[in-house]
Formats: sequence, C-alpha cells, structure tokens
Amino acid sequence: MKIHRLVENAPRQIIAESMSDAPGNAVCVSVGDSIENFEENTLRGHGTLVRDDTLVATVCGVVERVNKLITVKTLHRRYGAEVGDVVVGRVTEIGGKRWRIDLQAKQEAQLMLSAVSLPGGIQRRRTAEDELQMREIFKEGDLVSAEVQAVHQDGVVLLHTRSTRYGLLKHGQLVEVSACLVKRQRQHMATFDEYGVGIILGCNGLIWVGIPSTDAVGDSADADMDDASLLESIARIAQSIKVLSRMQMMISTESIGQTARLSLEHGIHASEMGRGDFLKILWQHKE
Amino acid sequence: MHVPEKKRKRETGEEDIVIGVEQNKKNVIEMQGKSCLHEVAWPPGKEHEGAPTLPPAERKDVEPARQYPFQIDPFQQIAINCMEAGHSVLVAAHTSAGKTVVAEYAFAMALRDGARVVYTSPLKALSNQKYREFQEKFGDVGLITGDVVINPSASCLVMTTEILRSMLYRGSEVIREVSLVVYDEIHYLRDKERGVVWEESIILAPKSTRFAFLSATLPNARDFAEWIATTHDSPCHVVYTDYRPTPLQHFLYPAGGEGIYLVVDERNAFREDSFSKAIGSLEEDPDEKKKKKKVNANGGKEQSDVNKLINMIVEKRLDPVIIFSFSKNECESLADQVAALDVNSSEEKEMVRAIYDGAVDVLSENDRKLPEVVSIIKRIERGIGVHHSGMLPILKELTEILFQEGLIKVLFATETFSTGLNMPAKTVVFTHARKFDGGSFRWISSGEYTQMSGRAGRRGLDDKGTVILMIDSKMDPATAKDMLRGTPDPLYSEFHLTYPMLINILRVEGANVEDLIQRSYRQFQSEKAIPMLEQKRASIESQMKDIVIDDEHLIQSYAGLLDQYHVLEKARRDMLMRPKLVLPFLQPGRLILIEHGGMQAESSRSINYDARHGAWAAVINFEVLGKKEKKEKRRVIIDVLAMCDEARGPKDPRILPSQEGANGVAFVVTIDLDQVLELSTIRVHLPADLRTKETRAVGAKVLKEVAKRFGTKGPPLLDAEKDIKVTSDDYFATVARLDKIKRMIDSHPVLEDEQGTLLPRLQALREKADLKHTIRMLDKDIQKAGGLVLEEDLRSRTRVLERLGYIDKDHVISTKAKAAAEISTGDELVLCELIFSGVFSSLKVDQVAALISCFIWREKSEARAKVPHEMEGPYASLRDAARRIARAESDCHMGVDVDEYVDSFKPDLMAIVIEWCHGATFAHIASLAGDKTHGGSLVRAIRRLEELLRQLSAALKLIGDVHLAEQFDKAIEKIKRDIIFAASLFL
Repeated sequence: MKIHRLVENAPRQIIAESMSDAPGNAVCVSVGDSIENFEENTLRGHGTLVRDDTLVATVCGVVERVNKLITVKTLHRRYGAEVGDVVVGRVTEIGGKRWRIDLQAKQEAQLMLSAVSLPGGIQRRRTAEDELQMREIFKEGDLVSAEVQAVHQDGVVLLHTRSTRYGLLKHGQLVEVSACLVKRQRQHMATFDEYGVGIILGCNGLIWVGIPSTDAVGDSADADMDDASLLESIARIAQSIKVLSRMQMMISTESIGQTARLSLEHGIHASEMGRGDFLKILWQHKE
Repeated sequence: MHVPEKKRKRETGEEDIVIGVEQNKKNVIEMQGKSCLHEVAWPPGKEHEGAPTLPPAERKDVEPARQYPFQIDPFQQIAINCMEAGHSVLVAAHTSAGKTVVAEYAFAMALRDGARVVYTSPLKALSNQKYREFQEKFGDVGLITGDVVINPSASCLVMTTEILRSMLYRGSEVIREVSLVVYDEIHYLRDKERGVVWEESIILAPKSTRFAFLSATLPNARDFAEWIATTHDSPCHVVYTDYRPTPLQHFLYPAGGEGIYLVVDERNAFREDSFSKAIGSLEEDPDEKKKKKKVNANGGKEQSDVNKLINMIVEKRLDPVIIFSFSKNECESLADQVAALDVNSSEEKEMVRAIYDGAVDVLSENDRKLPEVVSIIKRIERGIGVHHSGMLPILKELTEILFQEGLIKVLFATETFSTGLNMPAKTVVFTHARKFDGGSFRWISSGEYTQMSGRAGRRGLDDKGTVILMIDSKMDPATAKDMLRGTPDPLYSEFHLTYPMLINILRVEGANVEDLIQRSYRQFQSEKAIPMLEQKRASIESQMKDIVIDDEHLIQSYAGLLDQYHVLEKARRDMLMRPKLVLPFLQPGRLILIEHGGMQAESSRSINYDARHGAWAAVINFEVLGKKEKKEKRRVIIDVLAMCDEARGPKDPRILPSQEGANGVAFVVTIDLDQVLELSTIRVHLPADLRTKETRAVGAKVLKEVAKRFGTKGPPLLDAEKDIKVTSDDYFATVARLDKIKRMIDSHPVLEDEQGTLLPRLQALREKADLKHTIRMLDKDIQKAGGLVLEEDLRSRTRVLERLGYIDKDHVISTKAKAAAEISTGDELVLCELIFSGVFSSLKVDQVAALISCFIWREKSEARAKVPHEMEGPYASLRDAARRIARAESDCHMGVDVDEYVDSFKPDLMAIVIEWCHGATFAHIASLAGDKTHGGSLVRAIRRLEELLRQLSAALKLIGDVHLAEQFDKAIEKIKRDIIFAASLFL
C-alpha cells in the first residue's frame, strides 16, 4: 500500500487533527507498521495488535489516542457500525421477521420486525398477520433511516427505528459519500428552514436530501413535488454534499449550509456547482 | 363518612353499582356493601371537553381476560375497567387488600390481546418470587434481573426497574410492544438514591404505554395521577380504598409491664383511657430499669419483655407472629433468647427437615457445613425463624418458604420483610416505637407503621389482626394517634441528575436532557406550587394596600434618615472599636457603655436617634480569641460587671438599660467587643474577687453610685481623636456625616406634626417594608418554581463531562462516554478513568476483581482494613482517579467534599476477594470479614461484583481491547461459584 497516496486522498481534517497530537509517535500507519513500544498499561484498541513487545497496526490509517487507549482509524474504509449511529440504507430482502438492509458496510444489517415503530406510533401486537404484512411497511428497494441498536460479536448489525422520526424515506435524493467524511454531530437529522429541505446524514456515508419528514401519518408531501424552486433547493443541497465530498472536506450540517449559501452568493446554479470555478471559490473560502 | 350528594344507579345485569359524589369531587363507588373512592385526572386541555369524571364501565364487547371464582372487590373491578378502557390507573390500598389481582388481570389481558406487559418491582428477591407466582398461573412469563435472565421473549416480563430503564435507553424491542407497565410499590419513587429510576422509566416510556401503579395508601395520589396524565397525554385514574379484609386491633405493651392495653380497636377508634393507663404503668425510675436490664443481660432468671410477650402470644394462640425490630443483630439475639420455645409438632418438624434438606441440596459439600447453615435447622425445627438482609440468601428464602407454609410460627424480622410478597401473620409485634435514623432516634413514621402492621391478619383465616407495640418511654397521645392511625407519607420526587442519564440521553438523536427534566415529577410538583405562591403573594399585597399612612412620603424620608443614622453609627463604632485602638483602655474597672437586652426591640420602637441608651458596665478583664488565626478572624471577648435582671439569674443574664439599672443585681457577663458602644474616661475600683454574692453586691453599689452621679448624660467619654488616637480620615468623615444627619432629623417637617402620631406611623411604615420584602422573596420563589429545576446542576455536570473528555464542545459523545454507558453498577466516571489510564492492563485476574470490589463495598467500618501489599499501587491510582474527578466536580461548582468522595471507595473487601478468587471456602472468607460483617452482605457484594465485571468486560470489548476483556471474563469465572451464586429457591 502506498502510504503517501492514502494520505493524499484522506480527509484533510482528519489528517490535520492527527498531525497535531503527540509528536514523535507514528501518526499515519500502514499494515504492519509499529506504532510504539507496547507497555503494560497500554490499551490496545481496534486496528492494533501486539507483536514482539511492539504495538503494530493491522489496518492502514491514522492513530488515535484517548489517554492510554490506542486505536487505528482507517481512511476510506467501509463503514463499521457503532451503537447509536444514525444510518440510511436500502432494503434488499424480506423474510424471517426481518428486513435485510444494505448500509454499504462491512456486513449486511438487519432490521427486525419487532424493532420497528409502526407508522403513526401504533402499538405493535404480537400476531402472525404482522409478519405477513411486512411488505406494507417497507418493501425491497425502499430507502430507510434507522439507528444502530446493537452490533453482535460476529459483526452483524442490528437496527431499529427508535421513534417515528425514523422510517421510510421518499421525496428526495440519495448522495453517497465516504463514511469517514461524515462528521459526528449531536443531530444527524436536520432541516434547512430557508430552503425547506431536510437532510439525514447517515453515519454510513449515505446522505438523504429531501422534503423533511413530519411525524404525521400519510403522504402530505406529495403535492409539493411539483414545486420547481423546492426541487432546485434539494438539488443545491445535494450538490453541496457532492462538492464537499470531492474536495475531501468534512460533511456536517454546518458545512453543507455554508457551501449552499456560497453558491447562492455567487449566483451559481445547482447544476453548475460541480464545475472547477465553484470548487476554486469554495477552496479559497475555506483557506 | 362520605355523604353522597346524588346517587345514580348503573344497571349492570346481576349486580348494582351505586355511584355517589363526595364533597371533594371524588366518586364513591359502592358494590355489594363494599366501597372505594375513585377520581380521574385528564391531560391538560382535555378535561373541559366533557371528559367523563366517572370510572369507565365494564366492557361488554370483550370477554374478561380473567374470571375469578369469588366476587372481586369494587376497587379491583374499577381498576380492571380502567385498564380495559385503555387508561392508566393508580391503585392505592393496603398491602393485604389484594392489589395482586390488578397485576394478574394485566397479565391476562396481554395474553388475550397479543401485547406485552412488564411488571417491575424494586427488589431482585421480590422479582424472583413474583416470577414464580406468575409463572405458575400464566406460563408465558419471563424474568430479567441483573443476575438472571429467563425466557426474555415471553409476553409477560417480570423485571427490576433498573432493567426496564436500561431497556428504554437502548430502545429494546420489548419496549415497542409493551402496552402496559405494572409498577409495584410505586412509593419507592421517594427513595433518595433509586427513586429517580422510577421517574426516568415512566418519562421515557413510549406515549402509547399505559401504566398500572400499585401503592400503599397515599395522601397525594391525585397529584401523581395528574403528572402521569400530563406527561403521557392520556387519562390516569386513581382508585383508593381504606379497606382491610381483616381489621386490626392495636395494643400497647409497656416495658416491664404485665399485660397489653388495647388502644385502637378494629373500628379505628382511639381509646384514651387505656392509652393513659398503659403509659402510666411505665416505670418511672430509670435506675431500677437499668438494674433489671442488667439482670437480663447476665442471663438472670427473670424473663425479658419480648420473651414474656411471645409466651403470652403462643399461649393465647395468636401465632403466627412477626416480631419487627430495627437491627439485624437484635433479631438474632432475640431469637436466641427464646431458645426454650418449641411451637412445632413432630410431624411439622419432619416437614421442616424435608424442606431444609431439599434446599441445602443445591449447596456444595463444604457450604453445607457452614455454621449458619448447620445452626439454622435447630431453630427452624422449633418453628422459630429470623429474617434480615444480612442472612445468606438461600437461608432467607428458606425462611420465607417455611413461613408461607406455616411451619415458622415466630419470625424475628427487620423492616425489609414488610415490603413485597403477601406474607401475613396473625400478629405483628414492634419491639421499639423508635427507630435509629442516621444519627438520632425518631418515632416510627405513620407510613412505616402502616406498612409493617399491614402484615397482621390473614385474609380468610383470621377475623382480626393483632398489632402490639412495645414502648419503653413516655409517648404523648397526639404522637401515638398520629403513628397508629395517622395519614400515610405523601409521594414526592427525589429526581436528580446522574452521569449515565446524561450520556445515555446525549447519544440518542433528537433527545435532550432538558426535556427529560421538564417532564419529571419534580418539575411538575415545583410548577404545581406556583398558584399557591401566587395566592399568598396576592393576599400579602392586599394586606400591604390596607396599610394607609398619613403623609407617607414624609414619614418615609424621615425613616430613611433614621436608618441611615443607624447604619453610619454602626460603621463609626466598627472603626473605633478596633482591638488595636481600644485594648489599651480596657483595664479593670473601666466604665464602658454596652448594648443591653432589649436594645433590638427598643430601636424599632424609637422615633429618634438618641433613643438608644445602652447600659453602663465595668470591665473586669478581656481575652483575645483565635490568636493563631488571621487578624480578621480574631475576636475579643470582655468580662464585665453589669446590672442585670434578677429574675433571669446568672446563667442567662439579661443586661438592664442604665435607667433601670438601679432595680437589678450585678452579674459578671461576657460580651463581644462588637457590643461595646462607648468607652468612658472613668475607672472605678472593683473588689478583686467577684465570685461571691457579697462582693458582687459591693460592685453593684459602685455602679449605682456612678449612675447617680452622672445621671442620664452618663460619664464623660474618651475622645476619639485625643485619647484613643484614631487617625483614619474615614472616621472623622463619618462623624461629620452623622452630625449632618442628626441636624436633618432634628429639623425634619414631620416633627412639626403631633408627636404622638409619629410612632404608630413609623411602625406602620416598617411593617409595610417587611411585607414588601416578603413579596420580593415570593417573587423569587415563583420565578424559581417556574424555571427548570436542577438547571445549575445540569450545567455543572455537562461541564464536568466536557472537561474529562466524555463529550466535546458540541456535546457529541466520545469513545470514553460510550464505554461509560455500559457501566451502571459502580461509579462510571472513576471506573472509566481507571480503564483509560491503563491501570487494569497490568493487573492479574484476582487483582482486577479486588480493585473493582472497592466500587461495590459501601458498608461502614470502624477500622480501615489493611490494603494487601500487592494492591497498594492500584488502590493509590484508584484514589488518584477519584480525586481527579472530585476536583473537576468541585471546580464546576458541584459542592463535593473531595476527601469524603475519595474515602468512599473502601478497600475492605480486597483481601477477601483475592482469597475467594484463589478458591477459598465461604467459611474462610466469612472469618476474614470478621464477626461484624454478615454473610448475606458478602454474598450480595460479590454478586454485584460479578455484575460490574460483566459490564466492564462489555465496555472493553466496545473499545476494542479484547485481550483485557478476557481478563475480566476470567475474573468472573473465578468468583462465580458455590454458595454465593447458588440459584434462588424460587426459580
């Protein structure tokens, strides 16, 4: 693995952050690189192992330290789920009281029938009919938002929809980015009030942009899909995310909002945001 | 008792239900001669839409989920109707009234409707027993506690409240399907430490969930129901009943007396005459009593009171009996005292032996030889048992089973026996009417009394229950009445914030802690107080308006000047009475003017500045206190001879003002330098020794002579500038201002009015000012009550988490916080700090367990245990980590005592845990723990240790150090064996 290539493509912010810590120790490592001498009180986190009294990286990435805990975080990795993450995924299969969800992760995720809040917050009943009507809730190909409930020892990810804020996603578009570009925030679901556009920043790198969901049952949003300016706003937000991803910049509610605002200030149409001149403007703005 | 204003009849086929309305708007429901009270709280905004205030009628469209062979009581029927209607209900009734019927029906309903029901109880032991009871009745029942998990996918789940809370935080699927949560013993909500768990779980439960709360009688049930209705946006009913299936008779047994006195009869009437007879028979002479006790302690022939009483109970066939005492040790010693008693027949003895053999069969060879296990058989064979939390769990459960089977007829128990399962006796005895409560003895509260006495009287077996209260000290009738038939304790919130609460909420998308606080019962109660405060404010305001003063603004300016004068005068004195300046003048015999007893009251009555006459006294000597302290903290006290009120005596002297001095006698009084008003130029000669009455009389003569010679003007004063040599300019400026104010007061226009009206007007003004102040305070209270409770605490705790790196500045939780969220049995922050500083990584398996034991053991110990040599280093790091956290907390204004916090991690269990890890027998570690530590406490501690180790292992797996997690798993393997982890007899 060519480490310099890896670093070049890595999210700028992650590199910058890791450069600032603990000088003298390895910051960017490749598989098999030694990180530091293994001492008795070192905690070996994910992506490390001990060989001949040295702590060695098992993945390529940057070294992260929390007190004595040392972990190696991969860059451009496939998504590794953590409990509590908000994710967006696509239903691939139904059966055995569960939906299989593709999260673009290491392994497929499962959403159990019992882990789903029914539309409108209706109380679930434990009957056989429920199982037969699963397709009425989500069918194959549907896009859903969910939260990671648990990660099993063997790596299987269990999802759940904790409240009616989660569930079926429609009237919007999906943007795929690298999972490590999505910044961890307090809120991964947000609404840009000035555009009337909602986003769900899936920690797995799938970001949904569309008409914000309401808790109410039904498809009240259907009519709005004819509104051209709303559609353009959705496109603008989606483009902002794509641009940030291309520039390897961290994606957060704030950075998306800034990018969209910048494009409006410069009078750039959503369809032209991917062009070099806007990238340049964005770059200068960040610098 | 209740006079129904109007009666309506609701025809329900075979039986009649009569519903009346009581004065305070509660519905009185009568069915077949029995009655109960009902009311309902609707969520705000819905009560005006014609929402019915009557209880829901029985549902005819569905088959009752459970039929009873007997006619159920009205309160049970109403509660069931409420649940069937899809509402929440709070049932407040005595322990023996049959609240279990409500829980049972809830289970049956869930099975009928394909929903799930959760039953929570405050104690693990209680959960085990309830599980067994429900399992026998319904089959599809599961159990989840910190120790065991059985059939977790069942429709009906029995669990501890802590488990329910963690399920809610994790969003377990159980929660999504749960239609009803039954909370048993909801009055645990007011538990200082754990009460918050009840509140959290109620608040976090999904909106669609309904509740059935079972509680002892509550005076403020309505408040609680309103809270539920508000937070869950659905009606909550309250069903009360005072009904006891078996009425109680309350007796007193005076210490050393010969018999018992009936003080409250089965109709709940208090009998004054026999109460005073009982109290009267208490021996007066405490010495004699002591003598008697000594004889008992030495094993004298005379029987102890308890012994006598038990013999009487057995003779009169009032057994089975529960004897409550408030200490574990006393339970044991009382049981030893009745060694001669044998209440079981030979068949019964055989049965006891069979049950005993079955129970100890689960134990290992070694454990069967434990002295506790061996010795208990002699006692239980005779039908005598002991029950307290210090017993080995298996023996405790054995006792419970035998008691339920009627094979234990005399049971010595602590208060814990009064909670939970229906285990009634015919008679209940209290050995003491007072209870030791954190530092002092107090009378048992009426709530506690009701709870414990509720064990008396077996439904269907006894026609009445007997309660006997042993008293050894005087008790006034009011206290007795209050205790024996008083109102139960109200339900109040003990909601507080915890770190796991913050972390768990911060990790959920879209949740915030403020919302949780906003929905807490504490906030509700706080806001509920507002109307009352506002009413109070309004009444004070109108009171204030009623005070009319002529020329108020003039009086006000006059009073303002007087106040200013007093403030300045005080400032002047403070500047003058500096020890450095005046100490040289405090020679013996110096005449000084001091404050007298009535000074405060007089100044509020004065209409002018010069009304403040002091009292002239002669200095005897003085002393400077606190010489080692800083200058500001030093105090000067002066012994003076002053004329005092003769009636008050020398112990509590009241100094008379100088005009009245001639009528008093001279006493030596100690005063503070602050109390000195002026110093005179005169020194008088006093007798050297003033300890006798005669010499003081000579002194008094001198003081009277002074008063006579100088009259009202008093002796000449020392000049501040020339004599005392004050140099500060401030002093002279103050004096000048005082003069100016004096002139302004003297020429004030109000003085032109009639002098007689001035005083009442001034007094009225002062009263008005006081009221104004009260209103300001009330306004503050109202504002506080309306604001978010615990707001400051929330801010401090968030700052602590930020500082220690658990959350970042945007409140996104870090790896550390994720690890902390796995821990709930011990101090999560200190444990996390220890993990992340790598302390565990270098420890051996047994050492890991030993170090963790410091987080479990909280029992008091007189002598600090020795820390094993190999553990000294790790223990020091633990204390370091604790200190670091306490410091961070105190920096964030949390008001923690750092040393106390650090000392709360006790090393007492370390040596014991190491031995246990090495495979020692329980007998061995019990002997290591010493006589003072009960076996049951050890068992509980090590079980909790296992629970905590499990959580830590999960936390380590989460952060990725599987190797270290294995160490913890190995530690669990080592400690999980033998009697400590013997399965419950109820499972």
